[in-house]
Amino acid sequence: MDYKYIEQLLERYWECQTTLEEEAILRNFFRQEDVPASLLPYRQLFIEEDEIAAEHLGKDFAEKMLQLVGEDASVHVCKARRLTFMRRLRPFYRAAGLVAIMLTIGDAAQQSFNDDDTFASQQVAEQIAIDSLQNITIGQPEQQSAALVTTSTDTLDAMTR
Amino acid sequence: MENISFRTTVLPLSDRLFRLALRITMNRAEAEDVVQDTLLRVWEQRGQWEQIDNLEAFAIATCRNRALDLAKRAGRNTKSLDEIENIQLSTFNSQLSLEAREQVSLVRRLMDDLPEMQRTIMLLRDIEGKTYQEIAETLDISETQVKVYLYRARTKIKERIKHENGL
Repeated sequence: MDYKYIEQLLERYWECQTTLEEEAILRNFFRQEDVPASLLPYRQLFIEEDEIAAEHLGKDFAEKMLQLVGEDASVHVCKARRLTFMRRLRPFYRAAGLVAIMLTIGDAAQQSFNDDDTFASQQVAEQIAIDSLQNITIGQPEQQSAALVTTSTDTLDAMTR
Repeated sequence: MENISFRTTVLPLSDRLFRLALRITMNRAEAEDVVQDTLLRVWEQRGQWEQIDNLEAFAIATCRNRALDLAKRAGRNTKSLDEIENIQLSTFNSQLSLEAREQVSLVRRLMDDLPEMQRTIMLLRDIEGKTYQEIAETLDISETQVKVYLYRARTKIKERIKHENGL
């Protein structure tokens, strides 16, 4: 196996010319058991650095610190819960239901605005009512229809006053 | 800064600070005290975090200063880590042969014998994976100075390894 690349990297490492990525390559190389004799003496350095990197505080330290700053260690613990597929979709159902209700209410409101049965003036209302009554009375005897229109007009006058 | 909490913002720095403090105080209990003081100080200053560019760099610098003060006050010669008894060995190292462990100890001694600045820079670069720029900002020196210190540290170790192995 050709170790030229590793030897070159190592030379550049001593000269502080390697990038962090190249240093990671070196570290990974020296972690393996199968290192050639010429490079073996340097393996210890990288092993030792791994050792130092593994040094850490005990678990009780974190708990002690949280107590010191008044943050309860158990406050932020989240319990893992297994969710079914249908349960995962529940928020979407809820959102879709809410949207449907809002659309229905909005549509109903729009409809009530469009079905405006008030008229701009009394004359317009009277004229529309008379036209409607005349349409109804087509085919009835002339006197009866005239009497119906007159009665209806009087009623409208009374209502609009 | 949004959603700050001691648990998620400050506490994750503990082990990193501990490794640094340990390399300076050479004493596990004292290093733990230094980390505790540092974390509390950083947390107490959370009102000013917006004025701090890099919170981790600030914490590391605070930790280093405290550890140096402590080492000075104790008049301790920070030459060796031999007095540390309970450093947890990783599974990886526990699988090494006795000979390999002896050699590991030699390298550890070489590293611990470095002057504090060289040792700290080597730790920040080789153990914590910091860029030259980050190290320079943390220690308030230039990137060139960082490289000079690191070069000296690595060269010393290389030469000693070569010497010990008759290369």
